[in-house]
Amino acid sequence: MAGARARAAALLLSSVVRHQSSQSTSPQQGLVAKTSLTSPPWPEVKLPDPAEEAKYHAEVVQKVKELIAAGRYGRLFAVVHFASKQWKITSEDLIMMDNVLEAECGDRIRMEKVLLVGADDFTLIGRPLLGKDLVRVEATVIEKTESWPKLNVRFWKRHNYERRKIITNPQTVLRINTIEIFPCLS
Amino acid sequence: MVLLSARCWLRSRLTDRFWRVQEVLKYARHFRGRKNRCYKLAVRSVRRALVKTTKARRQKKRFLRGLWITRIEAASLEHGLKYPSFISNLLKSQVELNRKMIADLAIYEPKTFKSLAALAQRRRQEGFLAALGDGKEPEGIFSRIVRHY
Repeated sequence: MAGARARAAALLLSSVVRHQSSQSTSPQQGLVAKTSLTSPPWPEVKLPDPAEEAKYHAEVVQKVKELIAAGRYGRLFAVVHFASKQWKITSEDLIMMDNVLEAECGDRIRMEKVLLVGADDFTLIGRPLLGKDLVRVEATVIEKTESWPKLNVRFWKRHNYERRKIITNPQTVLRINTIEIFPCLS
Repeated sequence: MVLLSARCWLRSRLTDRFWRVQEVLKYARHFRGRKNRCYKLAVRSVRRALVKTTKARRQKKRFLRGLWITRIEAASLEHGLKYPSFISNLLKSQVELNRKMIADLAIYEPKTFKSLAALAQRRRQEGFLAALGDGKEPEGIFSRIVRHY
């Protein structure tokens, strides 16, 4: 980049300076003034060779696939997007949502939007979601109640304005039964 | 016999004053000073406390988000990345974990957080290379060395 710029400079200057006196000192090849903009402000970056990298990635994927197929992982945790919130769940977990779920108590539910699954040795990060044929998260609805009565009080002083309201949100409690992964990585 | 006007001893008197007062004092029992015992002082304190609770429910969300951001910043600095570049590179790699999740992972799943940081770092480097482009100068611009003869 510096060489090209120097060559362009030399060409231009030589064309301009040709009919002037002999004092023209055109810059030599590769000698450009080092300003604050000659090189970018970040340190220079060198990425590894793509072919080698692809080989390395394939090896890693193969190893993880073998681990999953052999079942040699401990407890799995998953990050699931449910009820417009993200939850970090494991098996035998209890979850409480602050709204109604249209399912009766005792119904089994499968959560489909899984963002991340991890064990001790490997993590599978979804971009943004993981495939449905890769992870399976099952949960059961345990109870459907209302929250404790929350008091909503609005008060302006000296204006005789006081409003009191009792709010009880419906809540649903779920128990996460299992998280399973299947060896269909590519 | 039919009485046309009520007797003097027949009055409508308040009989459950005790329970009405207890309804307010029960919220003030853990306060400091006389406002946990005296109704007149307790009424004001309890009213202010309940108003603050209602407003705080909205502020709690802001406060918690700031806390998550602080934690993510600390964890990503341990891995050599700053918070803005970490978050922006994660989003550019199409990883849609929110700040609460990333903060929880940083606390309870350090290996997973390390892999997320490595992913963000790699995406950052690819971004730098993409910004530099071919490395050639655009045409039509004369060099930066201007000599006056």
